[in-house]
Amino acid sequence: MSAKFPLTLHQVLVRRQGKTVIGPLNLKLETDGVTIIVGPNGSGKTTLLRVMHGIERINGGTVSWAQDDPSKHAFVFQSPVVLRRSVAENLAYPLRLLKVPDAEVKAAVAQWLARIGLSGKAQTAATRLSGGERQKLAIARALIRKPDVLFLDEPCANLDGHATREIEAILKESATAGTRLVMATHDMGQARRLAQDLVFMLNGRIHESGKAEPIFVAPKTKELAAFLMGDIVV
Amino acid sequence: MKRFLVATVALLFAQGAAAEDMRLAVTTSFDSSGLAEVLLPAIKADLDIDLRLLVVGTGQALKLGEAGDVDAVLVHSKAAEEAFVAAGHGTHRREIMYNDFVVIGPATDVAGIRDGSSAADALARIAAVQAPFVSRGDDSGTHKAELAIWTSAGLAADGFGPWYQSVGAGMGAALNTAAGLDAYIFADRASWLNFGNKGNLALLYSGDPALFNQYAFLPVNPAKNANIRNDLAMKLEDWLTSPRASDLINGYEINGEALFVFNAVAQ
Repeated sequence: MSAKFPLTLHQVLVRRQGKTVIGPLNLKLETDGVTIIVGPNGSGKTTLLRVMHGIERINGGTVSWAQDDPSKHAFVFQSPVVLRRSVAENLAYPLRLLKVPDAEVKAAVAQWLARIGLSGKAQTAATRLSGGERQKLAIARALIRKPDVLFLDEPCANLDGHATREIEAILKESATAGTRLVMATHDMGQARRLAQDLVFMLNGRIHESGKAEPIFVAPKTKELAAFLMGDIVV
Repeated sequence: MKRFLVATVALLFAQGAAAEDMRLAVTTSFDSSGLAEVLLPAIKADLDIDLRLLVVGTGQALKLGEAGDVDAVLVHSKAAEEAFVAAGHGTHRREIMYNDFVVIGPATDVAGIRDGSSAADALARIAAVQAPFVSRGDDSGTHKAELAIWTSAGLAADGFGPWYQSVGAGMGAALNTAAGLDAYIFADRASWLNFGNKGNLALLYSGDPALFNQYAFLPVNPAKNANIRNDLAMKLEDWLTSPRASDLINGYEINGEALFVFNAVAQ
């Protein structure tokens, strides 16, 4: 369980080149669980995640953690960068920054290599991995330092079903182990499989949010109802 | 309690792009300034280079260059940059632009740093009353500059008590922490101007020549590995030192205030 939540966004506004990207919006994320952010392309999901992570500047409002320790955030991007090093060295990198003793680094790397099914490619150049393997590596590299909260932006976009299933299993295990997950996805099946809380973004605003299960059963707005049915919502 | 938790790895892999041509390690202060959003589309339009940014502190950026993980670095810590080139990790150092560091704090200014006679005096006043202070603590250029000012004040940050919070984070995250704590913080002017979550904070001290903040571009030595795109790094350097870049950099303003001053010298 993380002590840093709740995370409170109050009247947050992001504007770029004279246009409002998101907001003003209010959101409060509590301590536990998996929050999934859904919405059409361009609705502001990625910007919202970046604001929460602290890497997107805001033009108005406040973002406040109950107990802020930015060193315990992690973020996995849709198109992650892998270092021009071996798979094992990519995993070891964040631990080496934290000056973790070598023996502990080796043990953690071996454990995560096995967990993501890449033990046989430990010494392979990470740039040679497939898209699914790169994404698993990126998630493992984020989780290896045991963050309180992990933000993920469409981590399974463009991946096949097998890779998506593997990644979802890793994420569920991490959530069970106490890492707070906040993830954007366009995949409603994935949202149904993972979400405990749901945030529906539309035109830069939070159109509806709350516990996922009742929302999936009976959305309050016609826009979300249409979105859940697969209709185009603008 | 002083903490050394390195968070900038959270930012390290922070920039996505569809195609990857060139990797540039940049400081979080550069990223927080918003200038990248102006320069990257122009670089794409003029050079057709998809520039992928790895956003870290200066110390990490130079380490990424040393390991050959990036093609060039854009950072702000002259002594560390010169050591990087001297050790053969970079081919050369080219100054691009500058701004200045400032001291931010609660508008009530309990330490009275507005009346400081120098940057060192301003920080010494904070230490004297042990007012909450947030430090980047991430071996970044800003962190190195802050430590240098403490040293010039005759103080060692290592020995400070719990009022001194070393967060090990990028500029934006550290400013957020300071806003949440109503704490003092040493920041670059561009990040401060571009920071939207100011809360009760205000710019309290600036103007000491010791706060000069020079940014430089360093291509990584292509002998490190076959993946390094020195050809693109050189094209980018030519562009960053061109009149086109000068116009964009000098023209980048927030609320009518310029964030950087172009000072590349033609060669």
